[in-house]
Amino acid sequence: MRRRWVGAAGAVVAAGAVAAGVVGIGGTAAAQPQLPPVSPEDLVASVMTAQPGPFNGTVGIDNELGLPALPGAPQLGNGSQSARIWSGGDGKGRVALPSGEGEKTLVSDGTTRWAYDATERTATRSTGGAPEQKDPQSDPAGAATQMIGELRRTSQVAVDGTAEVAGRPAYQLVLTPQASERTLLREVRVAVDAEKRIPLQLTVLATGSATPALQVGFDDVTFGPQDPSLFTFTPPPGITVKDAPAREGRPDDRQGPPPGTRTVGDGWDRVIVAQRPAQQPGQEQQRPEGAPDLNALGSPVSGPWGSGRLISTAVGTAIVTDDGRFAAGAVPEQVLTEALAR
Amino acid sequence: MTATLPAPSRAASRSHAPLSRLVAAELRWVLRRPRTLVVLGLLALIPVAVAIGIAAAGAPESGRGPGLIAQVAGNGFVLPVVALGLALTLLLPLAVASAAADAVAGEAAAGTLRGLLISPVGRMRLVVMKSAGVVTVAVLAVVIIAVVGMVAGTVVVGGPGSLITLSGTTLGFGEALGRIALVATWTVGQLLAVGAVALAISTLTEHPLVVLASVLGGMIVFGVLSAIPALEWLRPLLLTTGLTAGTDVLRDPLPLDGLASSSLRALVYVVVGMTITVVRMRRRDA
Repeated sequence: MRRRWVGAAGAVVAAGAVAAGVVGIGGTAAAQPQLPPVSPEDLVASVMTAQPGPFNGTVGIDNELGLPALPGAPQLGNGSQSARIWSGGDGKGRVALPSGEGEKTLVSDGTTRWAYDATERTATRSTGGAPEQKDPQSDPAGAATQMIGELRRTSQVAVDGTAEVAGRPAYQLVLTPQASERTLLREVRVAVDAEKRIPLQLTVLATGSATPALQVGFDDVTFGPQDPSLFTFTPPPGITVKDAPAREGRPDDRQGPPPGTRTVGDGWDRVIVAQRPAQQPGQEQQRPEGAPDLNALGSPVSGPWGSGRLISTAVGTAIVTDDGRFAAGAVPEQVLTEALAR
Repeated sequence: MTATLPAPSRAASRSHAPLSRLVAAELRWVLRRPRTLVVLGLLALIPVAVAIGIAAAGAPESGRGPGLIAQVAGNGFVLPVVALGLALTLLLPLAVASAAADAVAGEAAAGTLRGLLISPVGRMRLVVMKSAGVVTVAVLAVVIIAVVGMVAGTVVVGGPGSLITLSGTTLGFGEALGRIALVATWTVGQLLAVGAVALAISTLTEHPLVVLASVLGGMIVFGVLSAIPALEWLRPLLLTTGLTAGTDVLRDPLPLDGLASSSLRALVYVVVGMTITVVRMRRRDA
C-alpha cells in the first residue's frame, strides 16, 4: 500500500517537474557564448550600418520607469508588455500589440501606414515618410540604434562580454555617461547580435537601482523572408476608416511636437523644453476620465525661472511651470531649472 | 501489489465484456440523465443570448463595448469564439465537474458504486469508462456552443461569411471554420484538465456536492491568486492563467504560444488528476 502511494507521489512530482519545465519556472541561466573579441568602436560602427534584412519576432518590454499610467497611452505605465513584429527589411513592417480583449495593429508598406484598433474598430491611414523618432515598442532595434547614435559622443563605450538573447549570441555593448554628464542614468546596455549586428535588447539602468528601469528586447527572433501580404492592409468591411491629419513625417497616433519646443544640451543631459498646449478657459474640467490632474502631480518648486510642479520618476524629472512651460529629461532637477531659466 | 489487491487482476482476467460496450453503457447512463441534458441545453442558450443581445442593441456607437462581445457585431463568426470564452470562465467547468461528480461520488452516494466495484470489470476499465462519460460531456458541451454559436452568428448577427480578425485581416470561410475548430479543440483540452481533477476529487469523497464546491471554489481561488501581484511566480502553475488564450485564434497571423503553453499546462493537470483517480480506484474497497 505504501509503495503504491510512493508511486503516485512520484507521478505527481514528475508531472510537476514537467510543468515547471513547460512553463519555464526553472529560469535557465543564460550561458555566455564564446565570440571573437571586437572593439567597441567597430561594434558601434557595425550597428550603425547593419542591414538585418527581413525578420520577425516577439518583443518583451519590462517597464519600471515609474510613470503614471495615462489613458490613451497605457503602454507607458509600469508593467510588462509584449509585441509581435514582422519586418520586411525595406521600410515595410507590421506590429501587433495584443491586449486581453483586443489588439492594435500597425502596418506599413513603405509609403502608407495603417493603424488598426480592434477595440475601437477604427483604421487610421497616414502617408508620408517614415517617422524620424523610432518607437521602442514597435521598432526596438531601430530605437536602440538611434539611442546609441545619440549617446555615443558623450559616453564611454565598452564591450562587456557576451550574452545570449532570444537564443542568439550577442555582444554586450555598455554606454556609460562621461563624468561631465549630469544624468540620473547609470548606464545603457545594448545586446548586439553577433551575426546580424542589430540590437536585440536594450536595458536602461538608473543610478542607485540594481534592477533595470526599462528593458526592451526580443524574446525570440527569426531572420528570413517574410510573407509580403503581412505588409499590406485592406480595411475589413464594417469598420471606420480615418485619414490621419497630415503631419510632416509623424506617425498618426502620436502627437507631433507643438511649435516652441527646443532642446537644451545634448547626449545624456539633454532637456526638452516645450510649451504646453494652450488651454481654453472652461476646458479645465474636460480632462479624460481617470487622467491624472497634472496640477496635482508632483511637488511644488519655484526658482528664478518661475514656479511650477516637479515630477520625479526613476529615470527622469519633469517640471510643469505655472505659466504653461514644460521641461523634461533624464536629469536631476537642477539641470531642468537651468534649462528653463535659459 | 498483487498481494494486497488480488481482486482487480482476477476480475480483469474474468471480464469478457468489450470495453466499447462498457463505454456505450456508461454513455447511455450519462446522456439519459435529465440534468446532463438540461445543462447542455442551457449552455446552448449562451451564444443565442449573446447573438440576440447584439442584434437588439445594434453595433455600439464607437465600437466600444464590454470586451470581446463588441467584436461580434457584424462579424458573426466571432460569436462561437466569444461564447466559448464566456462559458469557459465558469459554466463549462461547472458542467464538466457535475459530470465527474456524478461519475464516482454520485454513484457512491446512491449506493450503486458498490455494484460496479464488485462486478467483474477491471478497475482500470472502470476508470476508462467513467472518464469516457466525463470526456463526452465536455466534448458535447463545447460542440453545442460552437455549432449553435456559428448558426446564431450567421442567422441572427449576420456576417460577410468570413471572419474579421482582431488584427484587421479577413479570413475566408474555410480558414474561419479552422479557427473555430481550433478554439473548440483547445477548449476541450482545458475542460479535460478540470474534468480529471474533478474525477480525482470524486474518488476521494462520497458527496457529489464536495466535488462541485471544490472545483468551482478552486477556479475562484485560482482567479484570486492570479490577481495578487506578489504571487506572480505562482501564475504559470494556475490553470486559470491560460484560460483567455482562446482569444488568440482571433489574431492574425495566429500566435500559437499561448494556446500551446495552456494546453501543456492542462495536460499536466490531466496527468495528476488521472494518476490520483487510478490509484484511488484501484485501492478502493468494494
